[in-house]
Amino acid sequence: MKAFTLLPVASLAEASREWVKPKTALKAGGVDLLDRMKEGLDSPDRVVSIAHVPGLASIEPGPPARIGALATLAKIEAHAGIRKYYPALAEAAGGAATPQIRNMATLGGNIAQRPRCWYFRQAEFDCRKKGGDTCFARFGENRFHAIFDTDICCCVHPSATSVALMAYGARLETVSAKGKRSIPLDQFFVLPDEDPTRENGLGPGEIIESVVIPPPASGSRSSYKKLKEKESFDWPLVEACVALTVSGGAIREARVVLGSVSPVPRRALAAEKLLVGSAPSEALFSKAAAAALEGATPLEQNAHKVRLARVMVERALRDALA
Amino acid sequence: MSKEKLRLGFQGRFEEKVVEVADGDPAPWDPSRKFSIMGARTPRLDGRAKATGAARYSIDVVLPGMLYGKILRSPYPAAVVKSIDLEPARKMPGVKAAMAIAKPGDKLRFAGQEVAAVAADTSERALDAMRAIRVEYEQKPFVVDPVKARNDDAPLVFEAAAETKTSAGDVGNARKPLPKKGNVQGPRASAKGDVEEGFRKADAIVEGTYVTAVQTHSPLETHGIVAKWEGDDLTVWASTQGIFSMRDELAETLGIPASKITVLTEYMGGGFGAKFGAGVYGVTAAKLAKEAGAPVKLFLDRKEQHLAVGNRPSAIQWVKAGATKDGKLTALSLLVHGNGGTNGGTGTSGPVKNVYECANVKTEEYDVFTNAGPSAAFRAPGHPQGSFALEATMDELAAKIGMDPLEFRMKNDPSEIRREEFRIGAEKIGWKDRDARRKSSKDPAIRRGIGVGAAIWYNTGGTGPKATVTIHRDGSAEVVHGVQDLGTGARTMVGIVAAEELGLPLANVAVKIGDTRMPYGPGSGGSTTTPSTAPTIRAAAWQAKKKMAAVLASKWGVPAESVEENGGAFAAKGDGGDAVHKASWREACAALPAEGVSATASRAENHGDAWKRFTAGAQFAEVEVDIETGIVRVRKIVAVHDCGLVVNALTTESQIQGGIIQGVSYALYENRILDNQTGRMVNPNVEQYKIAGALDVPEIDVTVLPVWDGVNNTHSVGIGEPSTVPTAGAIANAVSHAIGARIRRLPITPESVLAAFDAAAAGKGGVA
Amino acid sequence: MSDSEDRPGFTRRDLVRGALVGAVAARVGAKTPAPADASMGPGAVPLTLNINGHAYRLNAEPRVVLADALRERLGLTGTKVVCGRGACGACTVMVDGETACSCLLLAAEVQGRKITTIEGLAADGRIAPIQEAFVEADALQCGFCTSGMVMSCKSLLDRNPKPSREEIKHALAGNLCRCGTYPHVIDAVERAAGIRTAGRAEEPAGFTVAAGFRRRPELHEDARIDSATAEAIEEA
Repeated sequence: MKAFTLLPVASLAEASREWVKPKTALKAGGVDLLDRMKEGLDSPDRVVSIAHVPGLASIEPGPPARIGALATLAKIEAHAGIRKYYPALAEAAGGAATPQIRNMATLGGNIAQRPRCWYFRQAEFDCRKKGGDTCFARFGENRFHAIFDTDICCCVHPSATSVALMAYGARLETVSAKGKRSIPLDQFFVLPDEDPTRENGLGPGEIIESVVIPPPASGSRSSYKKLKEKESFDWPLVEACVALTVSGGAIREARVVLGSVSPVPRRALAAEKLLVGSAPSEALFSKAAAAALEGATPLEQNAHKVRLARVMVERALRDALA
Repeated sequence: MSKEKLRLGFQGRFEEKVVEVADGDPAPWDPSRKFSIMGARTPRLDGRAKATGAARYSIDVVLPGMLYGKILRSPYPAAVVKSIDLEPARKMPGVKAAMAIAKPGDKLRFAGQEVAAVAADTSERALDAMRAIRVEYEQKPFVVDPVKARNDDAPLVFEAAAETKTSAGDVGNARKPLPKKGNVQGPRASAKGDVEEGFRKADAIVEGTYVTAVQTHSPLETHGIVAKWEGDDLTVWASTQGIFSMRDELAETLGIPASKITVLTEYMGGGFGAKFGAGVYGVTAAKLAKEAGAPVKLFLDRKEQHLAVGNRPSAIQWVKAGATKDGKLTALSLLVHGNGGTNGGTGTSGPVKNVYECANVKTEEYDVFTNAGPSAAFRAPGHPQGSFALEATMDELAAKIGMDPLEFRMKNDPSEIRREEFRIGAEKIGWKDRDARRKSSKDPAIRRGIGVGAAIWYNTGGTGPKATVTIHRDGSAEVVHGVQDLGTGARTMVGIVAAEELGLPLANVAVKIGDTRMPYGPGSGGSTTTPSTAPTIRAAAWQAKKKMAAVLASKWGVPAESVEENGGAFAAKGDGGDAVHKASWREACAALPAEGVSATASRAENHGDAWKRFTAGAQFAEVEVDIETGIVRVRKIVAVHDCGLVVNALTTESQIQGGIIQGVSYALYENRILDNQTGRMVNPNVEQYKIAGALDVPEIDVTVLPVWDGVNNTHSVGIGEPSTVPTAGAIANAVSHAIGARIRRLPITPESVLAAFDAAAAGKGGVA
Repeated sequence: MSDSEDRPGFTRRDLVRGALVGAVAARVGAKTPAPADASMGPGAVPLTLNINGHAYRLNAEPRVVLADALRERLGLTGTKVVCGRGACGACTVMVDGETACSCLLLAAEVQGRKITTIEGLAADGRIAPIQEAFVEADALQCGFCTSGMVMSCKSLLDRNPKPSREEIKHALAGNLCRCGTYPHVIDAVERAAGIRTAGRAEEPAGFTVAAGFRRRPELHEDARIDSATAEAIEEA
């Protein structure tokens, strides 16, 4: 890792002011940033650290829940209120990475982390995500890559918590020189056709301060399912999260989100539409799951991911409605 | 020489054999012997040092003024070096040495090959300096796909003869030159009987092509050394499986006498076959240290470890086999194209040639060169691959003649030991009702399966090793032997054998290993450490006791041969058979001169007339397969192994469990993936190069069969390699049993399981 | 880190800056005036780390990660580095009682926090029960993953004194072992938790030496030198 000046700051406002200066990186838990810096993907002259900004690690379960950007995945996983009202988030946070990393990784960092695509993650590959003109995965080693939105850069988004948060309809609260913003999570991520070098719409110096999750309606059910090759530390092949409201024997509201299938966490709107107004049944689950994967454009080595994602949607629905 | 009548065999099946025993070597132990510590569960001597972090590995050595070395490696799989400019690196802060490893005009043959190196005062600055080195490359066409490499128009990895000398760790890689055409070298061929005739006699014939991936050794401590010069004397702290082979290669490469070099390996973080030589890294560290006039530590990082210092070659194996309908193998034919990158020696024929009895066997093995990092010996070289193909073939043949696959194996297995192992294992895994259990899960998506595989290994070990045992006047003993402990428990093994022979508690035996100034110890490869070392230690202890007896005889004024030792107590008997002189261990030791007694013994030759056999093993795997996702979880492995006489049951169990777990990892996860567009490895880490973790480990049930072969005085054979040989094949067979379809590729992936299952469901035979 | 703001009298930021000017914040607890410019580096800066209850002072660039500070600057080489990227757990230490990968922590940023390494588990001259259990169960082969494994197991037992096998495996999911020692690590945790009490000579269910091998364990207990000498040798 190249030498840098470390700037610990006391507030996000200060961090924001410093971050917009040239060759500056923003660091919270540092899990993803230091990994990239060690690889030489990022070589900032200055690192602005918000790791010790007070008040940002709190978890207020609400509902509505408000989780500070510096709350660790381990704390979210273990929080009784989160487990009670937002079990899929606890599940997603608790299944990510490793016990040690969950103690270090922050929620803000998890949402804003960069993809694990093995071409992107090595300095030798000048890929589109790095501003180059090639997506090596497109015609290369793409077993673990996207099955949607694969034209420009076919990495998958690595944030497990985002999949659950999007299903719960969460919003992000951000801070920048322009002031505060509240952004629905499902409008936060950016597809490569807009800009392959970034994954989200944070503006210059804009920092995630907290995540707000609306209160679950009565009769709400949710489930997060993921499939990994290894049970020990491994990145998921596919993830699915569903958040539903059921009353009078029918599904009233539905959010279905797929993870590890696209450069962004992907809402399955067609599946949601099918679910709303219908009574839960095995037939409905499989129709909804098929709808969720409609339009998939898998690559040479990952056609099976379409099927795996379908199974995960079915299992999440079955689990949520059991 | 003396002729000794011995009872040899196993499990109550003993036969008498007369074995010639060399002078100075004790006769092999008799099965009636009651052992004191041999075979007990003995916590290892260095367990406490390891559990407290006090154990100082070579990578932990920090010397005053020590520098950190770093190697710049080729980013291209094929390139000619045009120029190397070290000046920008030399100008960086803290840099004390910089050197080119490649010369302008040199051809680089894989991404990760060494180009230049630096040494600086901190590890961070060494990395800065490495990145400052300027190299001009002329990129050349390359091939990393072992199938494309066989095409006539494929770029040549070696324009002339293959230069497969590697210091990555091939033991005995020197073979007679083989013909090479394009990127294909070979064949190494063998033939027994007439396979065509064998196929004509067969009632059933099966054939299939089996593909396995490249597995990297991934020892947790990477390759590396700390090199320190004092004048012309070089001391290195190395992470090596062979302190003497490291020394000799350093001597040869640096052009200095071996006598000027000391290699130390006190603790070692795993090797698995890849750490025998000095390596480019070792020689580079020594040169940097010389240039800088300061000690240099050069250990590889994880990425370099994957790229440049060895791997288990991939293989494409075509197997054809025939059997009669009453279950006798009539023909076995194997054609292998192995891919060891820039290295050869990629054959897999061991299991096909040696496990099952077959009158007609033909094997042909070719090395295919690619622009990828060189292979190296890896825990049972060739065997896990070969076993996977052979055991699948055995299952398919059994199915074709309608015979139970275990029964079919029993009919063709010439090893009495392994047939017993099959019986024990079948009982433990519940083989009888395996079909009934296929759909026994409450979860309708889960299918269960049970499979079996066999292991063979070669009960080698041999001459060369020497050890010194000293008995002190206070009754304690000391063993000095230049072996290294990779984590197998070799240090403890040395102590146990000495304690057993001397009748001492282990705590009273000091063990000193890991230093080339000590009597020669074997390199730790081929599962030969214990069979080479244990008999040496025993002989030295035995001789030391003889010397004690001589001291007592002279004190007592009786002939030396009249003094007998029994369980550590000495007695001289008179003509009537009564003990006229007696000494306890403590009394005998007190009679020793100030220097105590010492004996240095050499490993005697293996007894050619002993009860010899191949080392046998059998493993059974039980798996659960999710037929909706293709995910395979191994639930249980039952392993039954012959490992001669167990020295330490606790570390033996550890090592067998470890072999099995590496086998699980090989079967389901491990895969070095190269990008065809750039020739680079895409997963040179432990995140995407997947290795089994705690949650991926099945329940493991281990049984060892004590075998008294009399080949050496402790009946020792090694267990490191056989324990990993059959696992992947057994798992693959269990998966096939579960889903009713054959998987012919490792690692077994969700997509290969789904494809095979779908094909079977569609009535297309089910092969993937 | 969420509870750190609760400490009366100073904030986390004060801790960092306090440590920067040489005070050992965790011990001294005094509020040190923050310098006008809190930036550090890029060159070496003085750091103070609270490791195993001792204050360690060193000069290091802000880019130096805790693992390298421990291993290359402070002589605490029990902590190992295997992947350097948080994927293997070999470098696991505890920071304020929670496990963390020391390869992904900046040394400069863990000033003022309570760091425990493998060297710090022994108390009153006795090694921790989990370390004892690792030795007895042979929960180590090459030993290179052991420090990290021990830290993960210790952390588990601190939170959950009687873990189930599944819980143990989950707690180890971030610790990679290449020798395949996991089954014995699980044994060791169960021993330390008092779940498994098998003595060293007793053969557990998972391992059988088939008949035909005779032992007389009484012999090796029968030390042939007087116990005083034996003790002297052991101590040496």
